[in-house]
Amino acid sequence: MVPFDFAYYRPQSITEATALFAALERDGKRPLYYGGGTEIITLSRLNLVRTAAVIDIKAIPECRALDVGHDSLVLGAALSLAELEEANPFPLLTKAAREVADRTARNQITLGGNICGQIFYRETALPLFVAEADAIIAGPYGIRQCRFLDLFHQQLQLGRGEFVVQFKVDRAAATLPHFHRKRRKQGEVGYPLVTIVALKKDGTVRVALSGVCPFPFRSAEVEAHVNDRSRPVGERIQAAVDAFPRPILHDIEGSADYRLFVAAQLLEDMLGELGDRETV
Amino acid sequence: MAVGKSIIRKEAWDKVTGRAKYTNDFKEPGMLHASLVTSPYAHARILSLEARRALAAPGVHAVVVGEGLPLTGEDMRDRPPIAVDKVRYYGEVVAVVVADTLAQAEQAARLVRVVYEPLPAVGSPREALKKGAPLLHEHLDRYEKNKTTHPEPGTNVAHRTKIRKGNIEQGFAESDVIVETSVSFAPSDHIAMETRCATAEIWPDGTIHISASSQSPFMIKKLLHAYFGEETGKVIVHTPLVGGAYGGKAPVQLELLAYLASKAVGGRKVSVWNSREHDMVTSPVHIGLEATVKIGATKDGLFKAMEILFLFDGGAYSDKAIDVSRAAAVDCTGPYHVENVFCDSLCVYTNRPYATPFRSFGHCEQAFAIERAIDELAQELQLDPWEVRRKNAIHPGHTTPTQVRLTKSNVGNMPACLDRLRELMHWDEWQRVEVDAYTVRAKGIGAGWKTSTIDTDASSGVILTFNSDGSVNVISGVVEIGTGTKTVLAQIVAERLKMDVDQVHVKMDIDTQTTPEHWKTVASRGTFMAGRAALAAADDAIRQLKDIAACVLRASPDDLEVGFGRVFLRDDPAIFLPIKDIAYGYKFPNGNAIGGQVIGHGHYILRRLTPLDPKTGAGKPGPEWGVCAEGVEIEFNRRDYTYRIVKAYAVIDAGKVLNPKAALGQAMGAMSMGLSFASREGFLFDKEQRVLNPQLRTYRPIRFGEHPEYIVEFVETPQIDAPYGARGIGEHGLIAMPAALANALSLAAGVPLNKLPLVPELIWRTQKGDSYGSV
Repeated sequence: MVPFDFAYYRPQSITEATALFAALERDGKRPLYYGGGTEIITLSRLNLVRTAAVIDIKAIPECRALDVGHDSLVLGAALSLAELEEANPFPLLTKAAREVADRTARNQITLGGNICGQIFYRETALPLFVAEADAIIAGPYGIRQCRFLDLFHQQLQLGRGEFVVQFKVDRAAATLPHFHRKRRKQGEVGYPLVTIVALKKDGTVRVALSGVCPFPFRSAEVEAHVNDRSRPVGERIQAAVDAFPRPILHDIEGSADYRLFVAAQLLEDMLGELGDRETV
Repeated sequence: MAVGKSIIRKEAWDKVTGRAKYTNDFKEPGMLHASLVTSPYAHARILSLEARRALAAPGVHAVVVGEGLPLTGEDMRDRPPIAVDKVRYYGEVVAVVVADTLAQAEQAARLVRVVYEPLPAVGSPREALKKGAPLLHEHLDRYEKNKTTHPEPGTNVAHRTKIRKGNIEQGFAESDVIVETSVSFAPSDHIAMETRCATAEIWPDGTIHISASSQSPFMIKKLLHAYFGEETGKVIVHTPLVGGAYGGKAPVQLELLAYLASKAVGGRKVSVWNSREHDMVTSPVHIGLEATVKIGATKDGLFKAMEILFLFDGGAYSDKAIDVSRAAAVDCTGPYHVENVFCDSLCVYTNRPYATPFRSFGHCEQAFAIERAIDELAQELQLDPWEVRRKNAIHPGHTTPTQVRLTKSNVGNMPACLDRLRELMHWDEWQRVEVDAYTVRAKGIGAGWKTSTIDTDASSGVILTFNSDGSVNVISGVVEIGTGTKTVLAQIVAERLKMDVDQVHVKMDIDTQTTPEHWKTVASRGTFMAGRAALAAADDAIRQLKDIAACVLRASPDDLEVGFGRVFLRDDPAIFLPIKDIAYGYKFPNGNAIGGQVIGHGHYILRRLTPLDPKTGAGKPGPEWGVCAEGVEIEFNRRDYTYRIVKAYAVIDAGKVLNPKAALGQAMGAMSMGLSFASREGFLFDKEQRVLNPQLRTYRPIRFGEHPEYIVEFVETPQIDAPYGARGIGEHGLIAMPAALANALSLAAGVPLNKLPLVPELIWRTQKGDSYGSV
């Protein structure tokens, strides 16, 4: 059970939400924006989250948007992962979403929550990295749009009182050849040892990983090695693995050396499936 | 009529509609709630415990601490119900906070300040047995214990069972080859859907009312007497439906805390309900094991000798772990005939959560060691592992490790199970095939047996009453833990009374004041013991019905039959009385009445069981040995070390299948548990022996959809003195599963895999020759 009392707010608009946040913050309530609430429940019962007020963003129409426009997709941050799977506007995102938690949890977990929560795998960020999506962010100073990747350093760098309203994905990017694979310690449910998401655009592979480090990442250096077709595949992969950011996770899900072993294999699978194994 | 049919469980409609009620569903206004304050250390001295702030918190009525409480434990009293001076495992209870609401209790629990001085923690049993290892219990010599418990003071050995049969030196001397295998796995959990919980209330008249999610409601009564001197007649235990137990609800723990908490608040009703995290580590866990098995055999694979060392990880307190270590010793060789046996089975103290039985009571654990060793022997001798098992399979005329002579009745048909398994699995066609560069398919098998090492005087009672329409109520002390035993009892009664099973009602919940005792709902003994009692009760009722009908029909009771809702003349069924007209006495047309309420009663007590001889282990530990042969087929990827369990097989000697669908459900459920345990479960500890994964986010049992195809068949070799010949089947599906999976994977990967759980990283490391683990 959640062992503390908290107030629940359900604003109808972005401005109402940000104003509420500011007011609650002033009152010392340490408010949290929330979409699905799974993580708040999970962590508060372990005494790892505490708040006196939650602001539910699900009644804000922009947060629930799912628009397939001519040039871009607009994905509301409060869409549940299950909804994204069913509507399938961005197949690579669907694949990443479908392997988060289990179906019952995905009915609750939202896209924004998966990316902005504390549990650091944040696997739905990976397709947005490689598709070079934009994030629409609301906060006390209004609404801004920026490149998601630019704002993500180990986690999304949001200012106090800010929340993600939407993601905007280039439609063309959403239809490019892609690759997704998640490997767990065992079985089909659980955190990743390694999740790899990749997309190929204009002959170049973009790749992002979760589970390797205590944060998801897309690294220019790693991609440079992966795309260095002057070298044999094995060397490209080894160089890419060597260029992974540090630290490499070493925990109850798997050891660091095993994760690197798995990551190297998945990179090889990725190059194979994207038709990029040949050395030029 | 009713036996042998797939009768739908009596409680099925309540369960599938969500209306079934479990212990924690019974709430009442004014009931207080407890929260457990538990230790963050696995081994530490408690320097101080400060509860003032907690006591001052809103809604708090009491903070119960361990001082002055008696020691508890079923075989040996080594466990304070609430820790004093020292904590010995991560998650051990140090205080119980009682408040108006659960939220208040939990909040206040966080205000209890405990200062610990960490002590060096003891991990595995082998570590615990090392010279100079810290002692968990300095005063092992002072503990009260029963006659069959043999602790070794000055060490971490809580109990040692010795099995000495034949002449081990001679056996090895006669062997052409000797193979030694070591296996190990850490403690894990049962993960019953319903976490353990209990409520207690002490009424002004002194009666103590306990409600508990328990397999042992009658034991709770006895233990409250033994530990606290309460009169057994004043302890009334209620147990409604139980949401999965698997041995985890056999020990008595939270009930004691609820009782102590209620006492601390003037007898008000207090509920103690485990969070999932507490249920996983604070309450007793599935035992861990380190074992070494040495098999001596002739060139053609005939076993000549087995030398076995079982080091059970009993955790911080011995409670039921002693019994588990003994049960494994009793059947230590597996279902094989071995003339020369030398086995030491130790229950070892470690700074880990304390252990308790897990479905199969020490047997899936023991079988993992034996069956891996047999596969390694077969490989050494280049023999077919099935042939080796078949050649040594136990059968009537042989003796068990505790020197019980086996008969056609007291052991199932092991050869028949193995033979059928071989056919079902198409064993002879292939055992390992390389499908492509990376994919390997492989099969692995194992066999198991089990007797139930239960108290030699364990008994069961059944009462039958009638309703005015002639239907019957069955009242038995068997707890409905999900096995469907109560429905099977209804079938047994319906069969004996030759009536429609729909006319046989069962009382689901237990009230120890009105329900006749059934020792404990454990050990796959419900159908056997309560079934025998039910038959006796039915016979008793039949006798009474006949006596009344004899007067009315003016015939000897010997000429009467009971069936189809009537008592009738055997040679002329047209002359009869409906049961409904005599079950409450018969009233003649003139108003005179004879007879009276018919109340059938029956009981069964196990017979001719003996404790084990402390020097040789000789003795009769249980009534019969059920047997099984099991296998799995896997698809293994040699490149990435992942695998899929494609099929799982079990052939179990059920004696007689009383309810086919229910029996299949029991077998498949047990197989699933075995595969889950073997492939992915197990606690992970840090160096200080703190549990790192006491949560379902990180401890992930098998999910629906991850299952293989299950193929289950039953062999029927009747146990002559059991109801309709039925043997226990609740556990056998599990026994050989872990071993079969390990055997298949070892064959596929080409390296011996002797640890659990069998996660891909373990296989990768074993093949690399590394020791395993990031933690």
